[in-house]
Amino acid sequence: MERASRFRRLFRLDRGAADVEGEVAAELEFHLDMSARELAARGMSPTEARREAARRFGDVDDTRRELTALGRARAVSERRARRGAAIMQDVRYAVRGLRRKPGFTLGVVLTLGLGIGANATMFGIVDRLLFRPPAFLERPDEVNRVYFVRTFDGTARSTSNTSYRRYQDLRADLRAFSDIAGFWRTDLAVGLGDDAREMQVATVSPEFWEIFAARPVRGRFFGAAEDVPPAGSPVAVIGYEFWQAELGGGEVLDTQIRIGRRDYTIVGIAPKGFAALWMTPAAAYIPLTAGGAELGGGELDLATEYGFSWMEILVRRKRGVSAESASAELTRAYLSSYESQRVAQPPQPPTEQVRPRALATSVLRERGPNQTTVAKVAVWLIGVSLIVLIIACANVGNLLLARALGRRREIAVRLALGVSRGRLLGQLFLESMLLALLGGAAGLLLAQWGGELIRASLLPDAGWSDPVFDPRVLGITALAAVAAGLVAGLAPVLQARRVDLSAALKAGAREGTYQRSRTRMALLVVQCALSVVLLVGAGLFVRSFRNVHDVRLGFDPEQVLYVSTQMRGEELADDRMDQLKERLREGAAALPGVETASRTLTVPFFQSVDVSLFVPGIDSVDRLGIFTMQAGSPTYFATMGTRVLRGRPIADTDRRGAPLAMVVSASMARTLWPGGEAIGRCVKVGSDTMPCAEVVGIAEDVKRESLTDDAGLLYYLSMAQYPPGAGGLFVRTRGPAAEQAEAVRRGLQGLMPGGSYVNVTPMDDFVAPNMRSWQLGATMFTAFGLLALLVAAVGLYSVIAYNVSQRRHELSVRVALGARTGDIVRLVLRDALRLAVVAVALGTAMVLYASRWVEPLLFGTSARDPLILAAIGAGLLLVAALASFVPALRASRVHPAVALRAD
Amino acid sequence: MPRDDLELVQGTLDLLVLKALTFGPMHGYAVARWVAQATDADLQVEEGALYTSLHRMEKRGWIEAEWGLSDNNRKAKYYQLTTPGRRQLRAEAERWTRYARAVFKVLEAA
Repeated sequence: MERASRFRRLFRLDRGAADVEGEVAAELEFHLDMSARELAARGMSPTEARREAARRFGDVDDTRRELTALGRARAVSERRARRGAAIMQDVRYAVRGLRRKPGFTLGVVLTLGLGIGANATMFGIVDRLLFRPPAFLERPDEVNRVYFVRTFDGTARSTSNTSYRRYQDLRADLRAFSDIAGFWRTDLAVGLGDDAREMQVATVSPEFWEIFAARPVRGRFFGAAEDVPPAGSPVAVIGYEFWQAELGGGEVLDTQIRIGRRDYTIVGIAPKGFAALWMTPAAAYIPLTAGGAELGGGELDLATEYGFSWMEILVRRKRGVSAESASAELTRAYLSSYESQRVAQPPQPPTEQVRPRALATSVLRERGPNQTTVAKVAVWLIGVSLIVLIIACANVGNLLLARALGRRREIAVRLALGVSRGRLLGQLFLESMLLALLGGAAGLLLAQWGGELIRASLLPDAGWSDPVFDPRVLGITALAAVAAGLVAGLAPVLQARRVDLSAALKAGAREGTYQRSRTRMALLVVQCALSVVLLVGAGLFVRSFRNVHDVRLGFDPEQVLYVSTQMRGEELADDRMDQLKERLREGAAALPGVETASRTLTVPFFQSVDVSLFVPGIDSVDRLGIFTMQAGSPTYFATMGTRVLRGRPIADTDRRGAPLAMVVSASMARTLWPGGEAIGRCVKVGSDTMPCAEVVGIAEDVKRESLTDDAGLLYYLSMAQYPPGAGGLFVRTRGPAAEQAEAVRRGLQGLMPGGSYVNVTPMDDFVAPNMRSWQLGATMFTAFGLLALLVAAVGLYSVIAYNVSQRRHELSVRVALGARTGDIVRLVLRDALRLAVVAVALGTAMVLYASRWVEPLLFGTSARDPLILAAIGAGLLLVAALASFVPALRASRVHPAVALRAD
Repeated sequence: MPRDDLELVQGTLDLLVLKALTFGPMHGYAVARWVAQATDADLQVEEGALYTSLHRMEKRGWIEAEWGLSDNNRKAKYYQLTTPGRRQLRAEAERWTRYARAVFKVLEAA
């Protein structure tokens, strides 16, 4: 009996289905044959013997079927196990290979991680701003925020703010909506005495609860009967987080809690994580009318007053109603309401001039008509992070390619030994995917940390409480990682396909001819060009940010504090209130860290008041623009740092009973009396029958609400000549205002009666958010740009080093023939600089092409600024020179004998 | 010739096949002949079941198979014991013996 070779088992090839059947048939055939033979030997005829043998066997067909099925099942499981083993083997091989070159692996993983991490971060942020619908909202596409559009001096202005009266008008008139809710959120003092703190309190109408699919954890939400003007019922729903953190999470239903000026009865607790339309959960929810009364201060009649715009409207459309028809119906109702307003509270500009319109827009504020620049910049930054990812992939592709070139001989040997090309390619791919997955994991970590950083430093108003990640961001990250792996892995795979076995295996296979890898050069040029683009962007945004920062505001925000009083139920008559505020002003001025203090009525970038003005000789002052009122003490201009250009500031002599005095801003003077003298003119404030206020001085322009386009129409009255008891204080500190805030607060708190208190805010807190978009752009573009440059520099270094190593032979010949170090270095440098020049040209072209889209995001600088382009171009050339210097130097130092020796 | 064939309990067939293979690699027909001969033809193995048993045990790794050449130069599938197979044989034999002894003891008790 011979044995089959054991060696064959090592290379057992896949058994197909036909094989199994054949083998089983052969085995059974052998048996029956042997059996028949034996029977024939005992005397039977061959046919009879055959028949008997079959009979003795049993059911041959049945057995054959059973064995075949068994065999097939076995083949399948064997195949699967083999494939699994092959994959495991490949994975182990890949891991081993990566471990052997820790520098390479680390470089690739880090590069990919940075690219993927950047994308994950930006996507997470943009997702929050633009895409993710609020939680607890069923069918979010049916829900809209309402915006009102009015035309003033030719420009249409949209706002989501409106009055309670308007809300009532609309609610009575509209048919296309299943729910129309009013809402607002503000800071109110919650709690009593020492526990009192300002917290975010939402004020909502009962329909608000209908729109959100939230169920109270305890108790109930308030209903329509509790939301009736003038001030609603004192019931409140408190937030889950507030309940746990501040109230201990115990039994609180039917207990009282002080919110603002009233005591409210707690009737329910909102579910965990319920933040409605905002980023963080509110501490409490009170009825809309209660909130309106709180904010209106009791002098306002919510049910009739059109002019007090303090709330917003949220609607849910009925099934089948489109947003367009909803907008149309809203407009109709708004028009009708505006007509009622013109009748009830004249004077209002005519309807044809104002052209009121209403829009039903996205619930997300950043997708409505008043999208802030922050959102726009964030979207741009996604493009930027994609560019960084492309650069990272290009770089990784380069590195992988270089490695593949180095392994050419190994690949050739393996192919010669019989590994199928498919398996080899699969394995190379696996390596790239493994690196990409590691890169993805690194990217997630970086994004988590980076996201926190960005949130904390650049978008603090957003205040997200939960992590930036959710399944969508993770999905995008995974997608990016896979895409990166595919793209980066393509290069070496394509390279491996073209391996010429004989050439690679030849002994002494050093590359005799200088093979410039064209793919690698192209990749490198693209990388550098993209880096140029990013860095130019960074330069533009940095300059914009600096310009914005340098904008003359007309006052000194770093040194001014705004002090406001929160009376909390302490009712004082107007003149007593006035005395209190004067006392506060004197008290503030007496504090050690304070230079001067002044009363103030309005606050730039925060609160404004505008009333109608009447000027003899001018038909309609309102047509010329919106004039903001300000009133202050004689120390006002000194406190704010606003220069008085001509005439005099408000003085002590402008007392009650004395002739009314007014200081106007330079723009206002120009607008009302162009070319003429403003000082001495007469202005009537409020109505035509009021006494004249004489213009006594002209002050420099002050930015009231926007850094970029502000008409600056502002006028100043004497606080002593204004109805008593209004406004707050401006306090000018020695040194930075933010540092003195607490000291000032403590100093003034002692002067406040009863449970009332003072709020002290540095002016910078009101101004800074307006610069945020440029700050975000500047920071991120710079960070990404430098990142891209670093990655490109590393790529440049590796490519030059590779090229130099290829040319070792040639360069050594040169050295042997008498070339000096300097000559060799110059030779290598020339190559590198040629590459860099092409990259700069390409990058500049891309910048010029994209400039028209970037232009609106900038401030004070053109997108095609030649200085920045030149600076960045020169920078890249310098980096290229530096990156190629080391390999060049090393190439010139190699001993000719070493390099010229045969491999 | 139909006889009083003692029906084999499932599992006992496996035991017999394994034992047969301790005498060296055999093809399926040889195993059948060996069992018949060793039991003095008391046990008649159903040949279909024999092959099923052989294939099952091959799948479980107790025996391994190779194609080889028979005495008369015909291609035949040869089976032989593996190390786990030997272990299995020892364990099964011991268990079967104990089982038989126990039954025997019961039957002997007059």
